[in-house]
Amino acid sequence: MKPSLALSLMARESRGSAGKVVFFLACLSVGVAAVVAVAGLASGVDRGLRREARSLLAGDVVVRSMKPMPQDVVASIDRWVAAHPGSASTPLLEMATVVTTPRGDAVTSSLVELKAVGPGWPFYGNVETEPALPLQDLLAGEGVLVAPDLAKKLDLREGSRLDIGGKPFTVRGRIVSEPDRLGVGIDLGPRLLVSRATLATTGLDTFGSRVDRKVLIKLPDDAQPHEAEDLEKSLEAGLKPDSAVRVETYVDAQPGLRDRFKNATRFLGLVALVSLVLGGIGVAETVRAWLASRLDAIAVLKCLGLRPREVVALYAGETAILGFLGSALGALMGTAVLAVAPRLLADVLPAVPIDAFSPAAILRGLLLGTGIAVLFSVAPLSSLRLVPPLRVLRRDAEPLKAGKLARLSVTLVLIAGVFAAAWIQSDSPRMAAGFAGGMIAATAILAGAAWLTTRAVERVARGRLKVTLRQGLAAAARPGAGTLPAITALGLGVLVVVGMLLVQRGVMASLRADRPEEAPNLFLVDMKAGEWPRVESILRDAGATSVRFAPIVTARLSSVDGVSAADLAARHMKEGRSRWILTREQNITYMRELPKDNEILAGSLWSDPGKNEISIEQEYAQDLGAKLGSKVVFDVQGVPIEMTVTSLRKVGWRSFGINFFLVAEPGVLDEAPQRRVAAAKLPDAAEQGVQDRIAAEFPTVVVLRVRDIVEKVAKLLDRIGLGIRILGGFAIAAGIAILAGAVGASASRRGREVALLKTLGATRAGVVSIFSVEFALLGLVAGIIGTVGGGVLAWAVITKGMELPWTWRPAVMLLAPLGAVVLSVLAGITASAGALRKRPIEVLRAE
Amino acid sequence: MLTILDRIDLSIAPGEFVAVLGPSGSGKSTLLALMAGLDRPTSGVVRLDGRPIQDLSEDALARLRRDTIGFVFQSFQLLGNLTAQENVLLPLELAGRSDARSRADTLLATVGLAERGHHYPSQLSGGEQQRVALARAFGPRPPILLADEPTGNLDRATGKIVLDTLEQLRIENGTTLVLVTHDPDVARLADRRIHLVDGRIDREERTVAERVP
Repeated sequence: MKPSLALSLMARESRGSAGKVVFFLACLSVGVAAVVAVAGLASGVDRGLRREARSLLAGDVVVRSMKPMPQDVVASIDRWVAAHPGSASTPLLEMATVVTTPRGDAVTSSLVELKAVGPGWPFYGNVETEPALPLQDLLAGEGVLVAPDLAKKLDLREGSRLDIGGKPFTVRGRIVSEPDRLGVGIDLGPRLLVSRATLATTGLDTFGSRVDRKVLIKLPDDAQPHEAEDLEKSLEAGLKPDSAVRVETYVDAQPGLRDRFKNATRFLGLVALVSLVLGGIGVAETVRAWLASRLDAIAVLKCLGLRPREVVALYAGETAILGFLGSALGALMGTAVLAVAPRLLADVLPAVPIDAFSPAAILRGLLLGTGIAVLFSVAPLSSLRLVPPLRVLRRDAEPLKAGKLARLSVTLVLIAGVFAAAWIQSDSPRMAAGFAGGMIAATAILAGAAWLTTRAVERVARGRLKVTLRQGLAAAARPGAGTLPAITALGLGVLVVVGMLLVQRGVMASLRADRPEEAPNLFLVDMKAGEWPRVESILRDAGATSVRFAPIVTARLSSVDGVSAADLAARHMKEGRSRWILTREQNITYMRELPKDNEILAGSLWSDPGKNEISIEQEYAQDLGAKLGSKVVFDVQGVPIEMTVTSLRKVGWRSFGINFFLVAEPGVLDEAPQRRVAAAKLPDAAEQGVQDRIAAEFPTVVVLRVRDIVEKVAKLLDRIGLGIRILGGFAIAAGIAILAGAVGASASRRGREVALLKTLGATRAGVVSIFSVEFALLGLVAGIIGTVGGGVLAWAVITKGMELPWTWRPAVMLLAPLGAVVLSVLAGITASAGALRKRPIEVLRAE
Repeated sequence: MLTILDRIDLSIAPGEFVAVLGPSGSGKSTLLALMAGLDRPTSGVVRLDGRPIQDLSEDALARLRRDTIGFVFQSFQLLGNLTAQENVLLPLELAGRSDARSRADTLLATVGLAERGHHYPSQLSGGEQQRVALARAFGPRPPILLADEPTGNLDRATGKIVLDTLEQLRIENGTTLVLVTHDPDVARLADRRIHLVDGRIDREERTVAERVP
């Protein structure tokens, strides 16, 4: 058959099928919209990060370290800059600290994220300040720029005094935007900008434990990207494997953030795929119903000389074209969502411009949408070969049933297709296999529930029921009622939404309320040893309870069982594992007795008087490559100290107490340079006052208020939850479209039913009631199974995945099925509107 | 096991008009289905132009039907979403005829429906639909036409018009016609009448000597 004839036949075949076409497109477009929105957001963020890479780095290359920058590294950078005219370097430092401002006789304080910048910063991107004056002028002397929310919190104006590290600074204005602030994740406090040179006078940069030190390097203007990578390689060549120094170029374009985002969008991509798979179920049902109505025509076509495979190709081609059109519609919808999504999700997305139009995402949507449409139509289309042309002479000649092998092959093709789609979405065969397995299990359970429902309803003694209930139940149990696909699709949608909601609520509840009564709400870090008695007295004066403190000795890991940290780090690099645990600054405490949330799993505490003993948290020990009896050498401020691992522990981190991976025996590190960390439970009203007093007397102490951090995390989770709920909404919409489609497919039957019922005396309201019972039953079964399924999924994620306690949420478990019932009834009645409006005589005459 | 046809020994010459009569359930439609390759005999041979067809593949049978056999059905079997003209056009397009459109228009004019070509079957009367079906069947000039109760759903007057049109087209095209009917008046028009009873040929009758097409 010529392609032009085939296209002509396809166009003619679709006449009079407007309703089916609409449902086909609706089912598919919703899922494609979700896929395009997620993929578009992911690629938009990735492109934005790459495009703004230089601005986000504020340089071409950044060298960073959480410890003071080694002199040889600084020297290397200086030599390179001197040898390359047009290049430059500048130091940068970021840390959390508490600042104070006078308030009458006292002070008021705030935790801030301080940034100290060197001359020339930023090399790329713009800094927006109020007043709009040159940055170096604003920061000259003891100038400081504050974020608007800090200015509001501490009532700061131009000229206000602000004490940083105990030194007075003058507020010269506000910092409105900075190019290298990503705006993603949790900020401990509002931004404060000072010059690097001025900060050095406070001594904060030498003492603080969480100081992020950087050197920004700008290449000459005509430098090519490979020159940045060459510089990166030459700097890294001079570093030991266990060095804490990291080098990054703008070409890398925020790899850490892009990786984190990629992982998140992998998960979201699979959630979006659920909507598309539901759409596929709807497409399958629409195609099945459509082909069932075309059996006579297909028999005639075979009589007229169309070969079986030409018949299949004809309808498959039509399905593919409709699949493409539905996908195109979905791509349009997804792009529209992308136009508003960045605004809605501003708190969780990097502060880069995100394009709404993403050709790659649209292409993905078209490919997956068309593929899913064809894939899910394989079963009904393959049965076309079995339509006997004899049907033209004998109406009772039904299509032959496909053999077991054929049905098995079709099922395997379907599973393989879903797996392939999941692989495309997640870029991970493991996740794809999990997704496909989960979908199969959920679909099987829902389909089983639907089958059981129809069987059970058939057996109900309907004779005793009122006519509305009786008719409605009978309608739901009738063969060809579309009960199975409707319950399966709606149930899957409910499962996804309820599952997401319960996980999010569980995490939020755990975050906010699931802390022991005596858990501290205030942490103090970077305290000098001699400061503790006075700090303790301030805490107790303010009514603090559960006051605890611990010493911290910072050290570097030198070796484990004779293997140097450098060699261990090299081994980790080779195995693709993170080196961070080996190269990081190790915080070791010492104590006679362990906190009560520590459990010894192996060995015993302080059991060998002949050795310097250390107790290590079990998983941390594994990561270090240490075990019971291992000899671990630490470099404590230049002094090597060997300790033997005499116990391994499990730590209950969720107690919110002060806990450590590394606990040394008292007497080993007592004389080492050390700081104090403390925690206390304060009455809520006393928190600010305590912070103010401590900040005034001890400017280097950082006060972390748990409530503020929890609120920030909760807000972030809420935003993430919003994004996930939007995606879940797509799944529900797909389920509703399928339900409506199933109703629409039986429109003529419903029309006859309505005509007969009205002829027999039923009012329109009575007919609506009967239909409502039918749809309510579908919604109830789908809602209950979906809710239970979502609950099981959430339980598994919360308890096994996140190791958080599970709390039942009766409100969600009750309201979700109710919501499904309401949605089902509304969708079903709306889809039946045409049939309800017809007068009996119109229908009966047409018969 | 149910025996629908038993010991059928039948030959039909080119150009012959054969009517198959019999009561309901005598096997008339089954006989027609076997001739068209729509069904396969449990035993025995069905030959078309000397070639056995019962073991042909579905593809080969489809080609056979496209090239050799035309059909007219009791329930017309027009495709409801195609216009009258498109219904007539379809087998011509499937046969790859370059003059498909003009031939379709000619045939519609021959059956007296030139002005109704753009109407859908639901807009035509029963008789008009059957005439469109005739035009469709004769479009590719098939050597053989199989008609299953072509006037079964029509009133007498309309049925006569359809039969006259069928006969006109048969003579014009020299087509071999096998027509199943339970109406003796319709069967009287045929060159030969075969009476089926309980799946067997009960008797044969000839009306006149072989007509020269």
